[in-house]
Amino acid sequence: MATQPEKPDVPDEKLVRRAQRGDMVAFEELIARHRDKIYARAFSMMRNEDEATDLSQEAWVKGWQRLKQFQGESSFVTWMTRIVINLCLDQLRKHKRQRAESIEHLDEELGGVERQMPTVTVNPTEGLERTELRARIDRALNQLSYEHRTVLILHEFEDLEYKEIAKRMECSIGTVMSRLFYARRKMANLMASYKREEMS
Amino acid sequence: MNWEQQLKLQAWIDGELSESDARRVAAMVESNATARALAEELRMARAFISANEPVVAVPESRDFYWSQIRRRIESPETVREPVAGLSWSLVWRRLATPLSGLALVAFLAVISFNSFRSPVIDDGSRFMVEVENLSEDVGSISYRSQSENMFVVYLYKKDQDVDSETSAGSSDDTFFQ
Repeated sequence: MATQPEKPDVPDEKLVRRAQRGDMVAFEELIARHRDKIYARAFSMMRNEDEATDLSQEAWVKGWQRLKQFQGESSFVTWMTRIVINLCLDQLRKHKRQRAESIEHLDEELGGVERQMPTVTVNPTEGLERTELRARIDRALNQLSYEHRTVLILHEFEDLEYKEIAKRMECSIGTVMSRLFYARRKMANLMASYKREEMS
Repeated sequence: MNWEQQLKLQAWIDGELSESDARRVAAMVESNATARALAEELRMARAFISANEPVVAVPESRDFYWSQIRRRIESPETVREPVAGLSWSLVWRRLATPLSGLALVAFLAVISFNSFRSPVIDDGSRFMVEVENLSEDVGSISYRSQSENMFVVYLYKKDQDVDSETSAGSSDDTFFQ
């Protein structure tokens, strides 16, 4: 294995090519550049530091194993993000089986709730500083069930279409639409309630 | 607005509708104040969420994080996955197991059918059937009852315990009679 010292201006593509030839130094540099992004995605889905660390590391191991399959159709970090998302979805399915909680049950439980929520007409994020806004979004995300949070993350952060989300989450497009609708409305209402808390 | 209309409204905002459906929803939003308010809320939520993904950093140092990954990579269980598809020999091996099972089933079905079809003298010789199993992965056990006019062949995966599989009623089990 080659062990050339890294330069910060070496592009990802070059590091990937070297890593594909077995260069671990190049791979380590790729990890150093993108580890926060991969970890953040795992954390946003799992909401648990230990699990997010473990799954993000597992994603890097899988990335190394499959590196020769990476053809560069997307960016390296997008490719790695998809790997960590799949690992998180697998892990969440395991959690769900352990909880013996069915999707149908959850949907029934929440059926109609979104229709009772008042429509938020005033932007609850107005005047907030970016850091505070992100903190509130993080707090609100934490209030969602993992099914609703995952749909939201895949749609709003990963920019995936309904069909692709349904495939990854192994559910129907109708379920994706319903969960996304609920998640957005819930987020808007939670943000509005944080605003009210701040005002009172 | 009913539930379907609300979901269509959202799909319209997300650009997931066909042109004709999109025109219908746009007309509804134009004429319906409730639809307009809901559309505004959904647009607003989408905008503030997508532009403000929470930022979190790995709670471990670069060296420690990498050392854990490296240890996993170098562990004997971790092997790089092949680039190309399956090799011919592996494909053949995978196909050989079900194919040999099917061939055996077909062979036994023909033999059983022929043996029971014509009323010949029961001298025992009509049950003298040789069963040859060429599969490395599938084993077989046969049982013949002359009094009940029955011949049973039980197929099982060689890496499974026959008794436990029989009692568990696994879907891999196959009986022929």
